[in-house]
Amino acid sequence: MTHKKADLSVQFCGVHFDNPFCLSSSPVGNHAEMCARAFDAGWGGIAYKTLNVDSSFKIVMPSPRLNAYHYNDKRFVGLQNAEQITDRSLADNLKDIAELKRKYPGRVLISSIMGFTSDDWTLLAKKSEEVGADMLELNFSCPQMARKDAGHRVGQDYDLVERFTAVVKKASRLPVLAKMTPNITDMIPVALAAKRGGADAISAINTIRAITDIDLETLTPMPIIFGKSGITGFSGPAAKPIGMRFVSELYSSDELSLPVAAIGGVETWRDALHYILLGAGTVQVTTAIMRHGYRIVEDMIEGLSDFMLERGITSLEEIRGAAAKKLIDPSNFDVRHQVVSQIDEKKCIGCGQCYISCQDGANQAIVFDAEKRKAKVDETRCVGCTLCRHVCPVWDCVTTRTVDTQTTSHAAIF
Amino acid sequence: MKKSIEPTAVCEFSVMRSPLTLQEAICEAERCLLCEDAPCSKGCPAGTDPGRFIRQIKFRNFKGAGRTIRNNNILGSTCAHVCPTDKTCARACSAKGLTTPIDIAGLQRFAIAYGRENGLEPLEAPSVEGQAVAVIGAGPAGLACAAELACRGHKVTVFEKDPVPGGVPRWNIPDFRLPVEEVAADCAQLADLGVEIRCGFTVDTPEKVNEIMDKYTAVVVATGLNEAFALPLFDGAPNAFDYITWLRRAKTDRERFASEVAGKRVAIIGGGSVAMDAAVTARALGASRVTLVSLEHLGELPADLEEIELGHLLDVVFRDGAMITGVEKYEGGHIVALTGTEIEWIEPGKFVPANARPVTHAQFSLPVDFVVMAIGTRPVFAHLFAALPTWDKKCFAPAGEDRPWSAAGKLFAVGDVVNRGTMAVQAVGEGKKTAEAVHAFIAGGAK
Repeated sequence: MTHKKADLSVQFCGVHFDNPFCLSSSPVGNHAEMCARAFDAGWGGIAYKTLNVDSSFKIVMPSPRLNAYHYNDKRFVGLQNAEQITDRSLADNLKDIAELKRKYPGRVLISSIMGFTSDDWTLLAKKSEEVGADMLELNFSCPQMARKDAGHRVGQDYDLVERFTAVVKKASRLPVLAKMTPNITDMIPVALAAKRGGADAISAINTIRAITDIDLETLTPMPIIFGKSGITGFSGPAAKPIGMRFVSELYSSDELSLPVAAIGGVETWRDALHYILLGAGTVQVTTAIMRHGYRIVEDMIEGLSDFMLERGITSLEEIRGAAAKKLIDPSNFDVRHQVVSQIDEKKCIGCGQCYISCQDGANQAIVFDAEKRKAKVDETRCVGCTLCRHVCPVWDCVTTRTVDTQTTSHAAIF
Repeated sequence: MKKSIEPTAVCEFSVMRSPLTLQEAICEAERCLLCEDAPCSKGCPAGTDPGRFIRQIKFRNFKGAGRTIRNNNILGSTCAHVCPTDKTCARACSAKGLTTPIDIAGLQRFAIAYGRENGLEPLEAPSVEGQAVAVIGAGPAGLACAAELACRGHKVTVFEKDPVPGGVPRWNIPDFRLPVEEVAADCAQLADLGVEIRCGFTVDTPEKVNEIMDKYTAVVVATGLNEAFALPLFDGAPNAFDYITWLRRAKTDRERFASEVAGKRVAIIGGGSVAMDAAVTARALGASRVTLVSLEHLGELPADLEEIELGHLLDVVFRDGAMITGVEKYEGGHIVALTGTEIEWIEPGKFVPANARPVTHAQFSLPVDFVVMAIGTRPVFAHLFAALPTWDKKCFAPAGEDRPWSAAGKLFAVGDVVNRGTMAVQAVGEGKKTAEAVHAFIAGGAK
């Protein structure tokens, strides 16, 4: 059985990807056998786990190094990790990359690298190119790397970013992605520094420095690594809103004007599409794979393909950045038009959550009919904030109606 | 959603639904919509306030949940095990609009167990000095009334005929539905409140009544319905029992009882909750075939849904819409078989024997080793109270709407002896309300 499929391919920095779905540099792309299974599952590209020059710095991982962020019964809303870059030898990793490129010549292999000196960066770039990597991703953002000359500290230092990028560009002809840390107020100056160094694209975001939980027995933050813990990288669905903000800002910067490899909380084709609509060229995934395995790409491919076919979209290029273009400065919002909430009485199950929220968190514009057990909007008081819509346990019960405040009164206008 | 019944546990007479784990409780509380009007709280006759204790669980205030339950319902654990929640708190649960109602009973059990395991402080009697009040009968109504009076500072003495308190839940409800330890734990809270429970004390003579009436400022009669009706058809048969005898034997002498019932055929006459308990108990004891003969058809059975489900799970055979017309006896009056007929209702919707008409050619014969009659109960000390003005030969009449007690001077009556038998949670609620009335009576000068 076969069915029509949309063309999901993308050209990114001149490199062809069968689809925009990639592994981000992390434990999910740790060695050849894992990467081979990822390619077999259908991933368009892999950012291999970050290489380093092992003679210059030997990595030993801490354990336990993970802690999940749970929201009540909802598991794994986010993941905190104290993972480091690769702890395998450079020689083994290079052998693996070579083997992967031999077996999967049509798939994209991005060599993620991190040096501690210019010589390191040069060596890693050259070696990666030698073994057949298609692109280089410069890891300027590992939040667990607390050295002045490596990790996220580099990502906050414009000069180092520019200098190391330039070193790599000099050493290799491969397209270069500079991977950004979100642990900074404004990412654009750093991305511009990478551009000045010659970067061809920006990857964003690396993980967000965070604390996910505290053990109340020992009064220690988690994960507890032999009595201590640390502020380390946070990822997963809860990180996606922050990732989307940075990706849209990178895409919308005319001065930057570089392709973006989006990273941050992607689990489904919808998440990936969100990033593409905000300007991403490719989308990288780790946390969702750590939780659900490589197989999730099947649903990403099928789902995005169906979306494109339903809409008559022949290339992702047609819609790239479409949503980013709708973002304006909040001070320029149209306030002449306002909305009021409408509750579908048939769908209302009578819990009154909207009433409670409106009473204590909005404008006391909902009336709860205790007799009928139904909530109703008092339109004379509704300011159109839509808190009710978001707290309602029935997804499609609360809708809104638009009011032109020049012709009709509205509670938002005194 | 409620956890499923484990038939193997039933057969071992251990609690049939395993308790919610911390994880399960958090997940179940998370489903709760925390309704503005909390229909669960409105639906609890005892005022246990599930809307509040579920919210407390949801916001990880587990001990607070335990306090809410016991402050509102001294028999919180008992009720959490036996409440027909589909008729009470869960009846109007808003979560039904999405999926299934919240497992309120499961959460109640969880909060109580959490408090017990995590050092929830014992209840404390108030320091105010009240009057001496006697409560006759340590069942749900009597205990709830006693606890509520103690909370108002009164010195309460409970007189109980049985060797341990608890009434129907303690003696008539099988262990797989309600372990005796749970009733005992609830009852122990009364001691913390300073209530004295004098067990093995039967108020069965006018002298004892007079003595109590003289000694106490107010007297509450909560003696319940404790004598089972018998069918004359089975008179003198050594293998015919009333359900109280049957169920109590399973509580007090289970091993020997099981050896007698194992592999035997048992017929249960009746279609209510106690009939179902008697039937499931028979199966759990090892009876090979248990047939429940009821006038009501399956959909009309007055038993709670859960008990009917339990009957199906334990392979009880339902001879519904049927009545017994005769017995075949052996020497010594031993019944060897019942004869019966299927029935139809003369007038629809009236489920009483007088309204039943045999269906022609629908006779049947049922070989039996034991027969259990579960067709209702009456108060046994009726003669003691016959002098009271509200006594109508069978029961007391309630004082009025939302006044579930009966009162004459310093004498009050509450519970099954007034309401003619209902849920434990109802008795708790009525006991609490009666305590208020007793308190008001005392505060008004006890005249």
